[in-house]
Amino acid sequence: MKKKVLSVLLCAAMATTMLAACGGGSGSTGDTGSSGGSSDSGKKQYAIVPKSAGNPYNEKEVEGFQTIIEANGGECVVNYPQEATADAQITVINSLISQNVASIAVAANDENALQSVLEDAMSKGIKVSCLDSSVNKDSRQTFANQAGVNEVAQALCDAVLDISGGSGDWAILSASSQATNQNAWIEAMKSIMENDSKYADLNLVEVAYGDDETQKSTDQTQALLTNYPNLKVICAPTTVGIAAAAKVVQDAGSSVLVTGLGLPSEMAEYIGTSADGKSCPYMFLWNPIDLGKLSAYISLALVDGTITGAVGDTFEAKELGTTYTITEAADGGTEVILGAPFAFTPDNIAEWKDVY
Amino acid sequence: MAGKSGRTINATPQNVWKKRLISWEGVLVVILVAVLILCRAMSANYTFENVLREMPKYLSEMFLMLPMAFILMMGEIDISVGSIVCLSGTLGCFAVNAGLPFPVALLIMLGSGIICGAINGLIIVMFPELPSMIVTLGTQIIFRGIAEIMLGGGGSISATNADGFRAIGKSIGNIPMVFFLVVIASVIFVLISTKMKFGRELMAIGSNRLTAFYSGVKVKKVLFITYVTMGAFSALCAIFFTAATYGANTTTGKGFEMDAIAMAVFGGISSTGGKGKMIGGIISAFVIICLRIGLGQKNMNSQLILLIIGVLLIGAVVLPNISAMITAKKKKASV
Amino acid sequence: MKMRELSLIFVLVLLIAVVSIINPAFFTIENLLEVLKNNVVTLIPTLGMLMVLLIGGIDISIASTMALAGMAVGLLFKYNMISSTFLGIVIALAIGAVCGLLMGVIIGLGNVPPIIATMGGMYIFRALAYLVGNSQWAGAEALGTYKEFALKDILGVNVTIWITILCYIIFFILLKWTKFGRNIYAVGSNAEAAEISGIKVARVKIAVYTIMGLLCGLTGALNTSIYASAQPNSLTGKEMDVIAACVIGGVSMSGGRGSVGGALLGGLVLAVIAKALPLVHIPSIAQNTIKGVLIVVVIIVNVLTQRAMNRRALARREM
Repeated sequence: MKKKVLSVLLCAAMATTMLAACGGGSGSTGDTGSSGGSSDSGKKQYAIVPKSAGNPYNEKEVEGFQTIIEANGGECVVNYPQEATADAQITVINSLISQNVASIAVAANDENALQSVLEDAMSKGIKVSCLDSSVNKDSRQTFANQAGVNEVAQALCDAVLDISGGSGDWAILSASSQATNQNAWIEAMKSIMENDSKYADLNLVEVAYGDDETQKSTDQTQALLTNYPNLKVICAPTTVGIAAAAKVVQDAGSSVLVTGLGLPSEMAEYIGTSADGKSCPYMFLWNPIDLGKLSAYISLALVDGTITGAVGDTFEAKELGTTYTITEAADGGTEVILGAPFAFTPDNIAEWKDVY
Repeated sequence: MAGKSGRTINATPQNVWKKRLISWEGVLVVILVAVLILCRAMSANYTFENVLREMPKYLSEMFLMLPMAFILMMGEIDISVGSIVCLSGTLGCFAVNAGLPFPVALLIMLGSGIICGAINGLIIVMFPELPSMIVTLGTQIIFRGIAEIMLGGGGSISATNADGFRAIGKSIGNIPMVFFLVVIASVIFVLISTKMKFGRELMAIGSNRLTAFYSGVKVKKVLFITYVTMGAFSALCAIFFTAATYGANTTTGKGFEMDAIAMAVFGGISSTGGKGKMIGGIISAFVIICLRIGLGQKNMNSQLILLIIGVLLIGAVVLPNISAMITAKKKKASV
Repeated sequence: MKMRELSLIFVLVLLIAVVSIINPAFFTIENLLEVLKNNVVTLIPTLGMLMVLLIGGIDISIASTMALAGMAVGLLFKYNMISSTFLGIVIALAIGAVCGLLMGVIIGLGNVPPIIATMGGMYIFRALAYLVGNSQWAGAEALGTYKEFALKDILGVNVTIWITILCYIIFFILLKWTKFGRNIYAVGSNAEAAEISGIKVARVKIAVYTIMGLLCGLTGALNTSIYASAQPNSLTGKEMDVIAACVIGGVSMSGGRGSVGGALLGGLVLAVIAKALPLVHIPSIAQNTIKGVLIVVVIIVNVLTQRAMNRRALARREM
């Protein structure tokens, strides 16, 4: 009997100290704006839900978002999902609804799965917008789009055309088969290539999926190299995929070249001319910090009533130096487009690789 | 995974109430109360209303915990349940989108869950040499793979007519409907495990499969029924999860198996079989749910929440063991 | 036991033959070396898992340990805290060993069922990898010279493959000809009998989990170097691949049975499957399903051959 009493006491003590630690711990991590409800500070809370934790790209979005919100007197709430899944984002958004935040900006892991919870949020007066990856049109008020789908696809098509020298075999290495953005870009690329005769000599041999896992992307790239000896270009519109592909190609000393969308900090090693033994002549991305800022301006404008998310609404984004207009998106909803994708070349990579 | 080492069964009832209070289940109740008080103190938003509103997603996972507890009690495991949720949810959405009436869609979901469970059960019964972890690892990949093939390039489906799912996702007053179902299911599972022959047979299999077999327990039958039940409840989970998402995608249900196992294990149900009480798993599920909701409302780093759950899991088992060891040593010294 | 390995070799040869007929590019020295190099991260921890399974335990925290060790090394290079590859690997080994030791102590001294302890460890170490990473990755450039390590060849074979071979030789000797190896089998076959016959079971357990951790540290370090990238979510789910490799290789999950050769064959079967699927032109979207089916088929075939070879086994399973 005595040992049981002891164990009960021990366990109870453990539970209390754990919880006390949690309480103290969360209070002191104020730097990410995680402490204190709106009731404490009196500031309005603007929430951002990135795709996942532990990813520098998402981190930069958050950074941009936070700067603008705080500069405008708001309180920024950052809540990362436990995993890069829609399931985990539902949990997080539910929690934000409980906290009665003023707005939620979400980079969705799935187009449809968040509908129920975001409708719930909107019905409680919370302003909902998206950034990076959108949800379907019924679940959002507007969407901060990093670059129009067609602009991205056009840039990638032209890059493939340019790098291949105008003709030959090329392949795509994508993220997972259900990645919303990647699929939209790939579809747009296919239709651009079909409808313009200047791409007629390019032959897309395969769309491979590396699931944004390094090991699988490596396997897939090696398989592409083995299966298609005449391959000229691999286009990887995903940060993990492009880095893995560039590494495989560069290490193998292959004549294949890589382009796509990637983080400058991850890709700096591979960007350069093939004469220098580098595998990626140039690639594209937008500025995730600016995307975060744009999303912050949208949240602010939605909350103070400057915009409602309808087509034609305009708002000023001071730090980005322009006034943005809400336009109609391809899915029937509305969006705000940040700008054209930015090309990272051997000339400018040095200055960007330390930024993001 | 059957328990090989002899385990002592100390089931001599002395003072029933005192025993109940200081059993692990009693401790869990104390912890639950502590969690509720502390979370309430930490967050002004931790109201009855909000907690109940956030609960349905976790409650649907509790459907997995109940039969998972049975499986663990037998010393087996099933890590394919998250994939069954995914497949069943996908099929349900396809059925609704094909214009089938909602009840038919529900039957299809349940049926698919039962079939998946039966496949697991069959392989495990037919090949007792194979550890259930590996069998269900294989089927985990297969079930989700089938959903991936069905979902195609988009990888995501949305129920075009979600009225049915909306209806079952509703609340009665503040309390979500799924809550009542979970309570009913919990009561049934507790009754099965304490009052029925089936429950005793489960425990017998978990303690010593060979002995159970020789004393007339139909081991294969019990195993099969439990895995089919697991499949059916995975489908139930899928139904209520779809009611919260109106759709399915290739990551639906990812990691649910670990959540369910963690709930059961924290409740004192041993994965080596033959130990634990159903009620412990149920209380611990609520402890974990309430804790996660509370920490979530403080916007605590989700990885930190996982870390805390990890520590709790280990602590829940190691602390009683250490205290037992200390008393055992003292006894030795006095002898 | 030998027969079981023979049947596995048969399965493996069959697999390679079928794939090579469909796509001759598979059966080239370069490609086979690539298969090995790309699966170093499965093959090395398979050895540790073999020992863990031999003593009747399990460890599902390994992927998290690898990520933590890999992440730590990556960041040390990123922030220029260290510049020596050797030191980097040593640090990773140390981190892995500490994680493993912790698991071993909890399991061995705390008497916690291994799956519970390592499930906790899985959450804790993964969370630490995220917290250490603080939302940063270490990319190719940040890793500087460290990534060069995995590019080196010795006698035409990549250095990481040599490390793997070395590990297999060491473990083969360790398990076959040392007292420690015999103790492991003894503990796995019957822990109580082992205890009575004077083996310190708790110590064996702690040692085994520490070795597992050590190998995880090594794997984490190599993973960062091979793929020139350290991310906190890397290798998620690897533990299942590793356990599957062992079980395919005939290692019993209830302890006491299994060999280094079997584990190696199991790992190779998985490696060949992963490599072959994209090469035989199976649509990307169906690859996971096929992989799952293949795993189930291989283990069932394995069981059936085992049964055919050992009829006596059937009698025991008549329940």
